[in-house]
Amino acid sequence: MEKVLQWFRCRPKWRVTVLVAGSLVFLVGLMLLPLMYLFAVSLAERARYGTIRWHFSLQNYLQAFHPLYLEIYWRSFWIALTTTMLCAVLGYVVAYTIALRVSGGWKSVLLMLVVIPFWTSYLIRTYAWMLIFRAQGVLNNALLWLGVIHQPLQLLYTTSAVFVGLVYAQLPFMILPLYAVLQKLDPALLEASQDLGASRWKTFFRVTLPLSSQGLAAGSALVFISAASAFITPDLLGGARSMMVGNVIEDQFAVARNQPFGSAIAFLLTFVVLGILLASLRSTQRGARELL
Amino acid sequence: MRTGRSSPGLSLASALVYLFLYAPIAVLVVFSFNQSRLTARWRGFTLLWYTTLWRDHRIFHSLMNSLVVATATTLICVVLGTMASLAWTGVAGKWRSAGEAVVYLPLIIPEIVIAVALVIFFSFIHLELGLTSLILAHVAFCISYVIIVTGARLAATDRSHVEAAMDLGANEWRAFFRVTLPLAAPAILSGALLVFTASFDDYLISSFVAGVGSTTLPLQIYSMLKRGITPEINAVSAAILAATIPLVYIAQRLERGSLSLRRAMASLAGIFAFMAIPVLVRTWPSSPNVPQLNLYVWSDYLSPRLIHGFEQAYHCHINYDYYDSNEALLAKLQAGNVAYDVVTPSDYMVQIMIHQGLLARLDKSKLPNVWAHADPRFLHLPFDPHNDYSVPYAWGTTGLAYRADLVKGKVDSWSVMFNPRYAGHILLLDDMREVFAMALKELGYSLNSTNPAQIREARDLLLREKPLVKGYNSSNFQQDLAAGDAWIVQAYNGNMTFVMHENPNIRYVIPKEGCTISVDCACIPRNAPHKKLALEFINWFYRPRVAALFINDCGFNTPNLLAPRYVRPWLLRNTAVFPNPASLTRCQFMHSLGRAMLLYDRYWTEIKAD
Repeated sequence: MEKVLQWFRCRPKWRVTVLVAGSLVFLVGLMLLPLMYLFAVSLAERARYGTIRWHFSLQNYLQAFHPLYLEIYWRSFWIALTTTMLCAVLGYVVAYTIALRVSGGWKSVLLMLVVIPFWTSYLIRTYAWMLIFRAQGVLNNALLWLGVIHQPLQLLYTTSAVFVGLVYAQLPFMILPLYAVLQKLDPALLEASQDLGASRWKTFFRVTLPLSSQGLAAGSALVFISAASAFITPDLLGGARSMMVGNVIEDQFAVARNQPFGSAIAFLLTFVVLGILLASLRSTQRGARELL
Repeated sequence: MRTGRSSPGLSLASALVYLFLYAPIAVLVVFSFNQSRLTARWRGFTLLWYTTLWRDHRIFHSLMNSLVVATATTLICVVLGTMASLAWTGVAGKWRSAGEAVVYLPLIIPEIVIAVALVIFFSFIHLELGLTSLILAHVAFCISYVIIVTGARLAATDRSHVEAAMDLGANEWRAFFRVTLPLAAPAILSGALLVFTASFDDYLISSFVAGVGSTTLPLQIYSMLKRGITPEINAVSAAILAATIPLVYIAQRLERGSLSLRRAMASLAGIFAFMAIPVLVRTWPSSPNVPQLNLYVWSDYLSPRLIHGFEQAYHCHINYDYYDSNEALLAKLQAGNVAYDVVTPSDYMVQIMIHQGLLARLDKSKLPNVWAHADPRFLHLPFDPHNDYSVPYAWGTTGLAYRADLVKGKVDSWSVMFNPRYAGHILLLDDMREVFAMALKELGYSLNSTNPAQIREARDLLLREKPLVKGYNSSNFQQDLAAGDAWIVQAYNGNMTFVMHENPNIRYVIPKEGCTISVDCACIPRNAPHKKLALEFINWFYRPRVAALFINDCGFNTPNLLAPRYVRPWLLRNTAVFPNPASLTRCQFMHSLGRAMLLYDRYWTEIKAD
C-alpha cells in the first residue's frame, strides 16, 4: 500500500488520472459521446420506417426552420419569457421579505418552506394543478359554489394552465439565487438612501435592484432555460395548441420516429440554451460561482 | 425588521406567494382522504386510498426499482465524484477549463436532449434497457452534483491541515481518512442527498432508458396520471411528501452546519428505513428465480386477474408495460435493445414489423386453442395471410363517443367533430392513422388512401379543425368525457365500455361515413428471451374462460367464439363491445401505407405542431 502511494506521489499526473478516470468514463462515455452521436444523427437521413440512413444531409436543419417550427420556437420563447418575468416578480417579493424583513427563526422557516417544493417531485407538483384545474376540479367547484360562474370553466389543457404549472415549478429557482444576493446586501446602504430623502420605491430601483442584479440574472437564466425546454408541464397541463419545443423533440423520438430531425431540433435548442447561459454568465460571472 | 419601517403590502404579497406555493400541496393531501373517487367535492374522511395503495403491487415494485436505482446511483456518484474532486483541486490551466466544461455539461444541456441522446446511443452500442441502463444514465447526469459540491468544499478547506497531519507522520492514505474526509463529509453528504433526490425524482431521462420490468416510481405515477386521476395518486404523493420533508430539514441544517454528521447520518438511515421496510415487506414474496414473461401491450389490455391467473397456472412472473400508439411500440422495438416476449401491434403495424424483420415466426403447433376457438373473420387477413407471425388478440372499432346531455341533436356522423359549436370540447386520439382515417372518411375517401392530393386535403381539413380541438389524447379520453372536460371524443370502443355503464349519457357510435375496424395481434418479437412461455401465454389466452375474463375486465372484445358464454350479460348488451353486425360493414381495416407513410408522418407533425 505504502509503495503504491509513494509511486503515485512521485507521479502527480498519474495520480490525477486515476482519481478522475471513473467520473470521466461517465461524463465522457455517457454524456459527451452520446451528444456527439446525436449530432452525427442530426446530419443523417430518415429511412422509410424510421430507421437511420447514414447519408450526409443538412435537410433536417433546413426543415427545422420551416415556419411551422419557427412558430413553436416562438411559442416556447414567449412562454419561457413570461414565466421568467412572473417568477422574477413573485420571487423578488419572497426573497426580499426573507432576506431583509424577517430575522432569526422566521428566516430559516420561510427559507425552508421555499426549499421543500424544490426537493419535491416535479410530477406530483404538476399533478396538484391537474386536480385544481379539472372541469369538476377544486377551482371550478369553489367558483360555482361562490356563484362567480354558472358553468365550469375549461381550465385544464390550456396554455394558461401551462403558465401556472411552469411558474409554480420554477419559482424556487428564482427565489434562491435572489435570496443569496439580497442576503449579502448591506442594510446600511438602504438606510443611507432613505436618510438622504429617497422614497422607498426610489431606494428599491436605485439601490436594491442594481445590487441584486446578479441574482436576478442567474435566477432568470435558470428559469428561462428550464421553462423553454419544458416537457412534462405542457404534456400534462397543455392542450392541442400548447406544444413546446421539448414536446416536438420527444414526439420525433417516441412516436414519429424521425430521429435525425428530432436530433437536429435538440441541437438547435442546446445551442440557444448555451448562448443564453454564456450571455448571463458574462454578466454574473462571480454571482454564478458563488451560487454553486 | 432591519430596515425599520414595516410594509403590510409586502408582507401580504409574500403571504400570497406562499399560499400559491402550498395551496396545491394542501389540496393534494386533503383529497387523499376524500371518499369520492371522481369529484373534487368533500364527501367524508376515508383511508381507503391508502389501503388501495398498500395493496398495489405495481406501486411497490416501482418504488423498489426507484430505491435500487437511486441508491446505486448515489453510491457510484459519491465514490467516483469525491475521487474526482480530490484530484481536481490540484489541476490548473487548460485541462481545468476543459474538465469544468465537461462537468457542467449535464447541468447545462436540457434534460430532454440528454434523454434522447442516451436512448439512441444505448441502441447504437446495443446496451439492453433495464435497471443497468437506468443506473448508468442516472450516474451520468448526477455525478456532476457531487464533483461540484464537494469540489467547492475542498477548495475552501485549508491544505495546511493535511500538510500538518503528514508532517506529523501520517501517510497520504491516513491523512485522507483522518483529515480530508471528515472536513469534506458534510459537503459529500449534501451532494449525496442531491443525487438521491435527483435520481429518485427523474422522469424524463428514465422514461427513455427504462426497459422491461424497470419501471420506476415516477414512471408509474406518470402512467397513472395519463390514464386517469384516482385519489390513489394523491395517497402516493402524500406519502412521498411525508418522506421528503425530513430530508429537506436535514439537508438545510447540514448546510448551515448546525447538525452533527453522526446525527445527520443516523436520521438519513432512519428515513431510508422508513421507505425501504414497507417496500421489502410488500415485494418480498415474489422470488426472482421463477421464469419471467415480459409483456408490452396496449394500455388496458391486461387486468390483475389475468396476470395473476397466468402466474399461478405457469409458476412464472409477469412484467408488463403499456403503450398508447402503434408507432410508440415500433420505436421501442426498432431500438433493438428491449427484451419483450409478447407485443400486440395492430394489423397494419404487424405488416410493417414483419417487413422490418422484427417478429419471430410462431410455432403454430403450440397454439391449439387458437385454431380451435378463433373467429375465422379475424384469421388469414391480408397483413399476415397465413398467421405465420401473428394471431388476433383483441378487435375493436374506432368511433365517436359523446355526452348526450351536452351535445344536442342526433350524432351519427364525423361531421360533429368539425362543428364550431363544440369548439374546445373535442378530443382526438393521439394516433396519426386514426386521426387521418377520420378526416379521410369525412371527405369520402378510403382511410388507406395513398393519393397525395387526398392526403393533403385531409391535412387541410384537420388544420382547419385544429382551433376546435382541445387536445390529443389516447390514454384517458374516456375519463375526460366522464368528467365533462370534453364533450365529443374520438374513441377506441373498448375504452368506453365501463364509463358508458356508469353514465348512461355517454354514447358510442360508429359514424355513418364509416371508421376503422382493427385487430390487435399477439406477436413474439424476434429477440424475445422467453419464446416458449410467450407461446404458452398466447395459447392460454385463448381458453374461452380466460378470453371472457379479458372482456369482463378490460372492456374490449376478443375474437374467441366461445368467450361470450362467460361474459357478463350487461356487456353482451353494450353496443361498444358487441356492435350491431350491420354497422361493421361500414368499417375498414387499415393497411400499411408504404411510401405514403412519409407524407402522413410529415403532415401529422405539422398538424400536431400547428
